[in-house]
Amino acid sequence: MHYGKISPYLFLLPTLLGLALFRLIPVGVSFYAGFTSWNIYSPPEWVGLDNYTEMFKSKPFWTVLQNTLQFSLVFVVSVCVTGLVFAVLLNAKLRGIRFFRGLFFLPVITSIVAVGIAWNWILTPQAGILNLLLEKVIGLTESVSWLGDKKYALYSLTMVYVWKNVGYQMIIYLAGLQSIPRELGEASKIDGANSFQSFFFVTLPLLTPTVFFVLIITIIESFNTFGITHSMTEGGPYNATNTLSYFIYQNAFVHFRMGYASALAYVLFLLTLLVTGIHFLVKKRWVKYQ
Amino acid sequence: MKNRKYVKNLFTYLFLSLYGTATLFPFLWMVVTTFKSEGAIFEIPPKLIPDKLFKPGMWDNYTEVLLDYNFLLYLWNSTLISGAASFGQLITCSMAGFAFARMNFFGRGFLFTVLVAMMMIPVEVNIIPEFLMFSKIGWLDSYLPLIVPSFLVGSFGTFMLKEHYMNVPQSLEDAAVIDGCKTFQIYRHIFFPLSTAPLATIFVIAFMNNWNDLLRPVLYIQSPELRTVSLGLTQFQSLYSTDWNLMITGSVVSILPLIIVYLFTQRFIIDGMMTSGTKG
Repeated sequence: MHYGKISPYLFLLPTLLGLALFRLIPVGVSFYAGFTSWNIYSPPEWVGLDNYTEMFKSKPFWTVLQNTLQFSLVFVVSVCVTGLVFAVLLNAKLRGIRFFRGLFFLPVITSIVAVGIAWNWILTPQAGILNLLLEKVIGLTESVSWLGDKKYALYSLTMVYVWKNVGYQMIIYLAGLQSIPRELGEASKIDGANSFQSFFFVTLPLLTPTVFFVLIITIIESFNTFGITHSMTEGGPYNATNTLSYFIYQNAFVHFRMGYASALAYVLFLLTLLVTGIHFLVKKRWVKYQ
Repeated sequence: MKNRKYVKNLFTYLFLSLYGTATLFPFLWMVVTTFKSEGAIFEIPPKLIPDKLFKPGMWDNYTEVLLDYNFLLYLWNSTLISGAASFGQLITCSMAGFAFARMNFFGRGFLFTVLVAMMMIPVEVNIIPEFLMFSKIGWLDSYLPLIVPSFLVGSFGTFMLKEHYMNVPQSLEDAAVIDGCKTFQIYRHIFFPLSTAPLATIFVIAFMNNWNDLLRPVLYIQSPELRTVSLGLTQFQSLYSTDWNLMITGSVVSILPLIIVYLFTQRFIIDGMMTSGTKG
């Protein structure tokens, strides 16, 4: 109260300036740019809905959109399930558990390019360690090109993304689990529930707010696929691993089609809004607040 | 009863170790590879003990990457950029967090909602206008586009510090006012020093995010001497994609500084991440 009328805004000045310059204005500009034909060298020219009609008629766009949805689905399910399973294990009171917590978070802080190179090296068909391992363990003799074969490329890439990112979700789940009093689980066991029953009927319902939060951030993350794709496949072979995020980069900064890329960016934006929006709408049905 | 618990713990360890191996293996395999000569890399079956370990020329890959391929310079560039960008977040986030937590003003709730909602917009939507803006004002091929956006806004940091400052007792603030502190002094001498723990977390997380960023360096940096370590690695990959021993060594060099920082600040980072989850 005693801070006067102006000083709050002075304190917020850098943040508001940054917000306006790097978030709000760009969101408006790219909406407008979506209706123009624009390379960097000449000024934008209004073309109405041309970018959108071209997009819906082009075959690569539909391939990329399908890849994006497929990637997103596999990524979100893998991350949310693996994250939860290991968060539950990490919540155990065991010797050395802090070591595992630290270890599982390690890929999250690792440079994207380094992750890309390391996995390229592991997945390479000739003398790649994964193929050699598979040959030893299950006697696989053909050398699979994990990233070069259209059948496997997208899934291989998805798994690398999961490996890189899942540690974060694990920690968020763990935070949620730790805020649930242990006595509740113990009480249910005294009432005769086994570990699985106690998890599914006591712990999980109490964890739903965290699950909801994890789902939202994972969905947003799943549409943001530049780094690893750029350092591993660059969208290939034949667009097999190209996703919207990377497709936008290619159109804007490889082909310099800023208008078309802006229109694509808005499709990505709407897709994110739509999928997260649906989750907010059905939230009441399954998320239980204490 | 005791027996069952023993079996359960055993299984927990088993699963943790399995996934732990999957996590650790790529890192170990990379480190092993850095001590191999070019010929030893494609040996079948691959050897776990590298051929140059504790032999003359053991550090050859490292000296070649660091000196001949300029990675020492790239490391320095990345440190400079990440340091400046993260330092900025300490100031701007704490000022904004202070205002949001302790001041009443018109539009407070709305502005805070906008700040958090902006985290949900994909970077691809903003990056094209941002690129054009920076090229108009002639900032291309400089560090300013890599530093300034992160310097000015940190949604995560602002959010975290707001939570922290809201828990500071009112009496402390009142006492400072009675002692004659002006608004800025209250922030500078009372609130800022009280938040060293969250500030450290924010600094480390911002440092890592900037260090690992790839999109902005790819777009904005052209001169070889300005490259960040991520960008240097990407360029190296497209030029010498068959020199696996050097590429892997470059990767190890690029992640080693972060891993060392992480080992010492692990507690801060994980606790910081955990608060971001429970309060969200």
